Amino acid sequence: MSLPLLRRELRANYKMILLFTAVITLYSTVIIAMYDPKLGASLNMMAESMPELFAAFGMTNAGATMLEFIINYLYGFILVVIPMLCLLLIAGRLVVRYVDQGSMAYLLATPNTRGTIIRTQILFLVLCTLFLVIYSSGLGLIASEMLFPGELDVSHYLLVNAGLLCLHLFLGGMCFFFSSVFSEQKKAYGCAGGCLVAFLLIQMLSQVSKQLEGLRLLTPLTLFQAKELAMESSEALMMAGCLAILGVILYIAAAQIFRRRNLSL
Amino acid sequence: MKLILRVKNMTKDYGHQRGVFDLSFGVESGEVMGFLGPNGAGKTTTIRTLMGFIQPDHGRVSIKGRDCFRCAAEIQQDVGYLPGEIAFMDDMDGMEFIRFIAAMKKMPSLERAQELLNYFELEPKGRIKKMSKGMKQKIGLVCALMNQPEILILDEPTSGLDPLMQKKFVDLIQEEKRKGTTILMSSHLFEEVEQTCDRVVIIKEGRQIAVEKMDELNKNHQRILILKFRRASEAAEFAARVPNAQTDGKHVTLKTAGSLDAILKLAAHYEVEDLETHRQTLEDLFLHYYGKENHA
Repeated sequence: MSLPLLRRELRANYKMILLFTAVITLYSTVIIAMYDPKLGASLNMMAESMPELFAAFGMTNAGATMLEFIINYLYGFILVVIPMLCLLLIAGRLVVRYVDQGSMAYLLATPNTRGTIIRTQILFLVLCTLFLVIYSSGLGLIASEMLFPGELDVSHYLLVNAGLLCLHLFLGGMCFFFSSVFSEQKKAYGCAGGCLVAFLLIQMLSQVSKQLEGLRLLTPLTLFQAKELAMESSEALMMAGCLAILGVILYIAAAQIFRRRNLSL
Repeated sequence: MKLILRVKNMTKDYGHQRGVFDLSFGVESGEVMGFLGPNGAGKTTTIRTLMGFIQPDHGRVSIKGRDCFRCAAEIQQDVGYLPGEIAFMDDMDGMEFIRFIAAMKKMPSLERAQELLNYFELEPKGRIKKMSKGMKQKIGLVCALMNQPEILILDEPTSGLDPLMQKKFVDLIQEEKRKGTTILMSSHLFEEVEQTCDRVVIIKEGRQIAVEKMDELNKNHQRILILKFRRASEAAEFAARVPNAQTDGKHVTLKTAGSLDAILKLAAHYEVEDLETHRQTLEDLFLHYYGKENHA
């Protein structure tokens, strides 16, 4: 691990991370503020008027409890997509951008092994993932307690967030993998972004109609089952574990390939 | 002499006749080796293998006896490298970048970096993105030289530098040479290597044409002289007395290698109005070697 490199990445990326945390803050607080045990009914009515649209974003019913409400409106789409975009952009900036531009030559022209460099970049992306998930869950917790003290089932809320962390470890790992194996930014962003869009579209389609439900098996997003996690379903816990393991495998594969490949710098 | 840097039967084939094929040369300790060839000849590919960025298909590339790909990080402790293409992290300012690279190189002090900055009269303030090519090249040189490495690998080091800075660069290389630094520098200009190098590897289309001592090369390196005489009759008379001369009115054009002494002394008998000398181009030099190959 290289401390100067880690420090550089922090400097180079903090603005983008702050931008994404601002977006998360905005969405999360607005949605949490919208929670009202009585208003749930009217939101449900709205959902019933446009069932496909709401279902596509994973918002099937507003739920009776605060946790169900939050899961429905935040963990179905917003807290999946926003950190995902952030990780996609940073993953590209950590490896493929340097390789494509040629500045990787300067990093490798120092007495640091490729292993050291790639491990540092992995550490940075994992720290970003941790920060985004911990920030968004902390924010949700604080906002809920301030606006509706005692309404949130905190322990299960944290369990859902642990699942979200696993999901983002996987998604970040995938983006990092593409960033490490390609030499052109275009290709790396294309593949990683393409996969993410495909995952989302497939999930949305599978949630719209019963006939297309089978499609859910084609997207890894299915492995994040926020509602079931909140109910401590062992199956959902195992699925989240799978996501984390897949993430680790992708990171290791990325590092191994990067260490051995030819770099035209 | 001990070979510091060694390329042995190295082939890296990119297909379509691109790449390098069966390259073999060595650079001795304290030697300055020029690496000469036109653009696209494979100079940068060879340097990339020396830096451990790419692995050759066949053959061995080593620095101080260590494999360039497997031991890249250890080797980098002794190497200063200037990439052929300038690409910094353009979100940084010049000094930030130099400090960052110094930290990556685990350098305890920036003293030498500051000396080099002064030497190149460089104010590395402001975003790298907005700098001229010459300024970027200077920053690259500072990064390569600031940790006082015992081996320098420089890919087209003077590109983007104005003639004055090129001269300063040559002086700097000569100073490094006095310190005993082993240097490999690539170029597509003969003049550039002429002033600094002890030996030259010449490659074309990925194939090694020659490894020659600079003195040897200079001996064979032809000059083209164009003399203008006062009268056409003088020109004709002079041309008849020297080999390989062509006349065109008052002008005499001749090719010569080695010392000019005899020719100048002969010309002094006549009234000379003008004298131009041209260096043989790199292409001519290649022709010379190809010619030799064909005769063999």
